[in-house]
Amino acid sequence: MEFLINFIISWLPIFAIYGILSISLNLEIGYTGMANFGKVAFYAIGAYLSAALTMSVMLSLVGKSVPLYSIEAVQALSTPGTGAIYTHPAAYVGLFVLSLVLAFIVAGVVGYFITYPTLRVGPAFLGITVLAFGEMFRVFMRNYEPLGSTKGLFGLNNPFIWIGNPQLSQGLFALVSLALLLAIYIYAERFVNSPLGRTLRAIKDDEVAALCLGKHVPRVKATVFFIASGMAGVAGVLWTFYQGSVQPDTFVPILTFYVWAMVILGGMGNNLGALLGAAVFTLVDRVLTFAAGMMGPSLIIPPNYLRWMIVGIVIVLVLLFRPEGIRPAKPIKTPAWEAVKEVSEGG
Amino acid sequence: MAEPILEVKDVAKYFGGVRALDGVTLSVQKGGLIGLIGPNGSGKTTLFNVITGFYVPTRGEVWFEGERIDGLNPNEVYLKGIVRTFQIPRLFPSLTVLENVLLTPPNQIGEKPLYAVLRSRWEKQEKELAKKAVKLLRRFGLGRYIHANVSELSAAHIKLLETIRGLMTNAKLYLLDEPAAGVAYDMAKEMFSFVKRLRDEEGLTFFIIEHRLEVLMEFVDYVYVLHNGKLLAEGKPDEVVQNKAVIEAYLGG
Ligand SMILES: Nc1ncnc2c1ncn2[C@@H]1O[C@H](COP(=O)(O)OP(=O)(O)OP(=O)(O)O)[C@@H](O)[C@H]1O
Ligand SMILES: [Mg+2]
Repeated sequence: MEFLINFIISWLPIFAIYGILSISLNLEIGYTGMANFGKVAFYAIGAYLSAALTMSVMLSLVGKSVPLYSIEAVQALSTPGTGAIYTHPAAYVGLFVLSLVLAFIVAGVVGYFITYPTLRVGPAFLGITVLAFGEMFRVFMRNYEPLGSTKGLFGLNNPFIWIGNPQLSQGLFALVSLALLLAIYIYAERFVNSPLGRTLRAIKDDEVAALCLGKHVPRVKATVFFIASGMAGVAGVLWTFYQGSVQPDTFVPILTFYVWAMVILGGMGNNLGALLGAAVFTLVDRVLTFAAGMMGPSLIIPPNYLRWMIVGIVIVLVLLFRPEGIRPAKPIKTPAWEAVKEVSEGG
Repeated sequence: MAEPILEVKDVAKYFGGVRALDGVTLSVQKGGLIGLIGPNGSGKTTLFNVITGFYVPTRGEVWFEGERIDGLNPNEVYLKGIVRTFQIPRLFPSLTVLENVLLTPPNQIGEKPLYAVLRSRWEKQEKELAKKAVKLLRRFGLGRYIHANVSELSAAHIKLLETIRGLMTNAKLYLLDEPAAGVAYDMAKEMFSFVKRLRDEEGLTFFIIEHRLEVLMEFVDYVYVLHNGKLLAEGKPDEVVQNKAVIEAYLGG
């Protein structure tokens, strides 16, 4: 039981992070038809923004002016009991919340302005531009000393670490992550089941025809990109506080393709499918991490390989038997249906 | 009656060395049912593409209701009140027939990103539009297909749907690109009767490209003939079909 609880507590935030990323990618590719090959960029923006913001404000609260990457900063922040994140709980939680809001806005705005010009040029440009942007961001961070260059930033922890009981603080963080995921899921469901969702589907089907029906296609796409990038930023904040640190090489391009695999597995154009895809992936991942930890060196195949072998097999099986993913695309639903029924019953 | 709704002034469109349009001047009267004919490759679709903002003309101007519209984007041209259909119909396959119609009214409340998630803001409008759409679909015999996928429709119904969904809006000018192509003769005649009815009852204006002259000529009040990107002839249908140059162009092309 104890074991199961620990397992779930350590899995839920990862599920929430990838669930949010999958939903955000699904809004782009599944509903609007925009291939984003650089999702990781906006995730990284959220992660770095929250780490830099929280660390610098916490350090100034305890009157330390040391570089963020220094060992003094790590000590001043996270020495158990005496570090700033233990002695200033309200500020720490507040900065967590502020990070979520700011990461959404900043990642969203960056997404909007990177994509808006490319959207007019052609669909292929979007994916490549964002892919390149993500790599540029990572390489820049690797070389940007104030934010720790290749080593990244350390010294943060779970936002509820000051509670003292690790299971309680981790459990609380897991719940908060889950609540965020749920909120984003509900938001996405409402977003697509609306006249705007109808327009998104139309753009995905045939954007030229949508343009001819008066839809401002580039603006609609950039708006979706804003929202989806903002969501990825939120996931990045969760990652920082889950991990307690950020490193540039977490944000490699392959991460974007993991999210793609989740969406394809779950079902394009279905938010619940995206969640399921994320759940399956992260569960396999966690189970293997736990199993590897218990079995240790007796494992013949290194867990990292095994992980992706199993994921590969699952994808092949699902696509073989359910080519549209676990959950196929769902028709949009607006109150138009009710109105049609009223008309039919009336006449 | 003599007031033009659309004026095309000396419009040219070159694609490299291809002169798809080469100085075309014509006008469409308000409430008119005007035909546009010409052999394959004579520039008919290109003219529609210029009018609807798809292409910026190499030369010349397009005026709609006294306003210059060449250079506008297709979505802006639509908002001015010009609806087009395509030679190869372009409906949205992942939307139902009803949703294809509901898509057309511009600037719906529920299309605004901030309001989309607040159902109460747009529910009323959505229901009103749905009722209007159902009435429209029934009026044109598509009542049975409200919830059907567009792939279940016949070719004729697809063309019909593409035409009538513009009626959800306040569009004034309809550009139809070969509405009767691939449609059985009876159905084609029926389609043109619909168009005539709309013109007579709603005062809408139609500008129609059509290869099937036997159907077209019976309904239109004026015809323009394009040939190699130039206006070859114009006039009442019976004059045009007897025009020697036109007959030659068609036989030669
Ligand atoms: N985008 C383009 N690029 C290059 N050439 C083009 C383009 N669009 C049209 N053309 C050329 O312009 C000429 C006119 O084409 P258009 O499609 O307007 O003819 P049309 O009268 O509609 O013919 P049809 O009756 O076959 O539909 C053709 O020679 C065509 O090949
Ligand atoms: Mg044509």
